[in-house]
Amino acid sequence: MPTTTRWFIKSGVVYFILGITLAFLAEFPSLTDNLSLLPIYWHMLVMGWITQLIIGVSIWMFPRKHRDKKKRESILVWASFWTLNIGLILRFISEPFIPIIEDHYIIKVSITLSALLQWIAVILYAIEIWPRLQNRKKGGRSKA
Amino acid sequence: MMPAQSIWMIRSALLYLILSVSLGTIILIQKVINLHPFIWALLSSHYEMAIWGWIVQLAMGTAYWMFPKKLDDPRRGPEWAGWLVFGCFNTGLILLVISTLFQSVTYAAAFGRGLILISIVIFAILMWQRIVTYRNLH
Repeated sequence: MPTTTRWFIKSGVVYFILGITLAFLAEFPSLTDNLSLLPIYWHMLVMGWITQLIIGVSIWMFPRKHRDKKKRESILVWASFWTLNIGLILRFISEPFIPIIEDHYIIKVSITLSALLQWIAVILYAIEIWPRLQNRKKGGRSKA
Repeated sequence: MMPAQSIWMIRSALLYLILSVSLGTIILIQKVINLHPFIWALLSSHYEMAIWGWIVQLAMGTAYWMFPKKLDDPRRGPEWAGWLVFGCFNTGLILLVISTLFQSVTYAAAFGRGLILISIVIFAILMWQRIVTYRNLH
């Protein structure tokens, strides 16, 4: 299992635990009063857990087109890992406080940066994985 | 070898991931910077594309590729059935997304969900025969 896959899956497991913990805490309204936790819970599960698990496994299992370009691919994958995770962390520490400090510029910058980082991560992942979706019989294994 | 149906299902799933995250990006920014009130109307499309377009379709494409193949031809079931799954699922999902964006398009949601239902029933029939083990064959 490649290193990047392990990082994606381990990070996913952490978000899975955090997401379920948040769902548990949400059962006690006195602890979470005024905080916007529902979108955090959903995105921890869908982006943090399921999507990171899919990305990790697909990087590992999907056929490679250019084995000689492994280094370039791993740079894309690492960039996708860090942009996604920094984006998610920024989101999860900022979004709950939107109802409380909506107009503060730090929240605006943090949320905007988080949204853009997550978008960039997905684009980088798509650039990495798209060429690997191929029927090898037709075009993958040329000796040239 | 990845079959063409899986390639197209996974490519389509990637496109839906990009579309869904793009809408999610705009919606998240709208929470702190008022870009346009219409942006909140994109929320349902964001969910539908993430769950059905990305997660469900990627799982279907990967399962169609990786599950044990049958011992006799056609080894993944009839090819046309695989294409029918891809066609019905994506046409249905496009109709569903249109219905969430434009409430005035009547019956689009019902048609969309109907097509998705048909595609998943065909997919289930195709996969049912491949949920096997050949370990005890010899």
